[in-house]
Amino acid sequence: MLFLRWGLPGLVVVGCVGYLIFSASGGSAEYYLTVSELRTHTHAGDVRVAGVVQNDVQKSDGGLHVTFTEKDGTASMPVDYSGPLPDIFKPGITVVVEGKLGGDGVFHARTLLAKCPSRFSTQPYTS
Amino acid sequence: MPVALLDPAVYLVILGYFGAGALLAGLVLGGFAALLSFWAGWRQAPLFIQVGRRAFYAATTMVLLAAVVLEAALLTHDFSLVYVAEHTDLSTPTALVVAGFYGGQEGSLLYWTLILGLLGSASLVASASLGGRVAAYATGILAAILSFFLFVLAVVASPFELLAITPPDGLGLNPVLRDMGMLIHPPVVLAGFAAFAIPFSFACAALLAGRADAAWIRHTRRFALLAWGLQTTGLLLGMWWAYHVLGWGGYWGWDPVENVALMPWLATTAYLHSSQVQERRGRLRTWNLGLVMLAFLLVVFGTFIVRSGVVPSVHTFAISAIGPWFLGFLGACLLFSVALLALRSGNPGAVAERETPVVSREGAFVLQNLLLIGATAVVFWGTVLPLVSGMFGGERVVGAPYYERAAGPLFAGLLALLAVGPLLPWRRLRRATYRALVWPAAGLALALVVLVVAGVRAVPALIVFPLAAGVAATVLAEFVRTAIRKPRAILRKRRHYGAYLAHLGLAVVVVGIAASHFGQQEKDVTLQPGQQATVAGYTLTYTGLQQRQLADHADFVAAMRFGDQTLEPSRATYAGLGGQALTHVAISTTPVADVYVVLADTGADGSATFRIFVNPLVVFIWAGGAAIVVGVVLGNVGEAGPAAELARRRIPATLPA
Repeated sequence: MLFLRWGLPGLVVVGCVGYLIFSASGGSAEYYLTVSELRTHTHAGDVRVAGVVQNDVQKSDGGLHVTFTEKDGTASMPVDYSGPLPDIFKPGITVVVEGKLGGDGVFHARTLLAKCPSRFSTQPYTS
Repeated sequence: MPVALLDPAVYLVILGYFGAGALLAGLVLGGFAALLSFWAGWRQAPLFIQVGRRAFYAATTMVLLAAVVLEAALLTHDFSLVYVAEHTDLSTPTALVVAGFYGGQEGSLLYWTLILGLLGSASLVASASLGGRVAAYATGILAAILSFFLFVLAVVASPFELLAITPPDGLGLNPVLRDMGMLIHPPVVLAGFAAFAIPFSFACAALLAGRADAAWIRHTRRFALLAWGLQTTGLLLGMWWAYHVLGWGGYWGWDPVENVALMPWLATTAYLHSSQVQERRGRLRTWNLGLVMLAFLLVVFGTFIVRSGVVPSVHTFAISAIGPWFLGFLGACLLFSVALLALRSGNPGAVAERETPVVSREGAFVLQNLLLIGATAVVFWGTVLPLVSGMFGGERVVGAPYYERAAGPLFAGLLALLAVGPLLPWRRLRRATYRALVWPAAGLALALVVLVVAGVRAVPALIVFPLAAGVAATVLAEFVRTAIRKPRAILRKRRHYGAYLAHLGLAVVVVGIAASHFGQQEKDVTLQPGQQATVAGYTLTYTGLQQRQLADHADFVAAMRFGDQTLEPSRATYAGLGGQALTHVAISTTPVADVYVVLADTGADGSATFRIFVNPLVVFIWAGGAAIVVGVVLGNVGEAGPAAELARRRIPATLPA
């Protein structure tokens, strides 16, 4: 009786939360890859790729369209992105691009995030 | 050699040694306070309980001394310290040099430790009435936490690390952080984090001592409120800063760093509500203890997550050696909490009893708690998914759509509960309850009709806005009813009406968030001087570009005429930092919407490219947030009397442990 009155509604709520987490994370989770992993990756849909911006940044369309090469250690890929760039965007910083690798071998980014040089980090003096 | 002491360079090095020494002394005193207090509490030795407590005060004094030394080193530009050289330079404005204290990894840990010591000392002074044992155990736990932080500061991540060669100038603060928001947001958030340790310590102490009575509730609730209030303010300031400084048009990005600040807030919100069931009915005791512990565990977990670099975040934190130490500390706290709850909590104080129906105030609080913890679980899962999925193959991440789809329905449920819950009586339903429900229903229906007539067809908007209207109607009906019948009750029952004000503030915040989320419009335009752009009915005219050359950066300022005001979005380029750019957003706030202009780029021919956002009702977020904080502060400062009286009457003095 006690269980029917209090336990059952509680279980229903817990079940709903579980379902929401499961369904939402199944649909919108994206793979987080390095540039070299992207080459061997077969998953359809959007992915996020982290890498370092190289020294070939080309801006056009009043600075809102940009192409550059993103590289991590061994592999590199050309990136094409339209939209305002983060303030700290420049060759040498790490960015995370979100989008798809096109058939032309160019990564078409929907969003571009710069790793924030947060209050916890500047270029260390030592080492 | 006394002569060498007069040499300023040597003198400054000694300043660094002095700080490191203070940290070591603090560590020894903290460890002593922890061990002695546990022993004295167990043996019930009043003299040694007092000694332990004073050792804690002494450890706090040492932390204070270290903090003063670091601040002095910053202000005197003592670049022999790595920390000073990495976070400031000679051109940094003095206010930001002061802020450099909590601007880096090591300094922010020292600041955290300082707040922990100061608030902990204040809580111990205030807890003299709790009885020897609880107070002694609380001292012991607080001292143990303080010692952990001091150990990390003294051994792993010392702010007093010295450079072999003193450089002539420091590296300086990143331009993005050279903002006055830096002065207020981080210290409040860090103080909030530190404050969660105090209710945790008192909860654990009460369990260890086998007491969880009225005095305990009063104490824990007071310090939980303090932590919650600091965290609420810190979250709001963080949103405000992101919106006004970062220039992406939004204020919340579901980044791990934001999530870990949100989770303890959600858990403590749950506690502040369910603790009333304990105050009134003497139930849910174990659950409440669990919530207080959960909030602190989430704080430690969050610190581990964001400072060890284990999850991908747009905030990079200096990778340092503190990650494993915090993981170990988290494990120890988790084990300690679970063991305490399992072994010492006695009979679980379930709300369930035969005569209490689910539809009652108790039921509303329980459901609210489940929904809040559910939302915490959603945020937790989204934050740790990269970590968990990384262990099983491909590392996966979730973005805003996940949080909106998973937490959105839970927040809608909470909103519905916020409209109905305060009207439900304790224990059982009465006929008057149904009559009272007319007000939220009317508010909800009215808002729904207005929205449909106005042509809104988006289902999420048709759910959120009417629910917020229902919440507002519930609160306003209560205020009007009391103001007519017995206006003095509003002053007498401050806590009750303060909470209602906070509910109203939350409804206003929700309207602001929903409006700016569903109604944001943006447009990218490249304009020649004299050309116009129109976004969402707002017309802006670009009048020209100015270049200013300042000491360390070049500033491009675009002038935009908007009505009778001139907006000046600008873009600064710092030559000294590899040409890093810094955008200054220009925002014109009207009651209906913010016009938010970002200067994206400038052309050689005087043209300029803008991204223009129109963000409806953003000002509601700041106004509603202020109402929440004001409501809680007015309702609780100096209000311990009646609540304590209430608790004393209804709760048995000791537990059958």
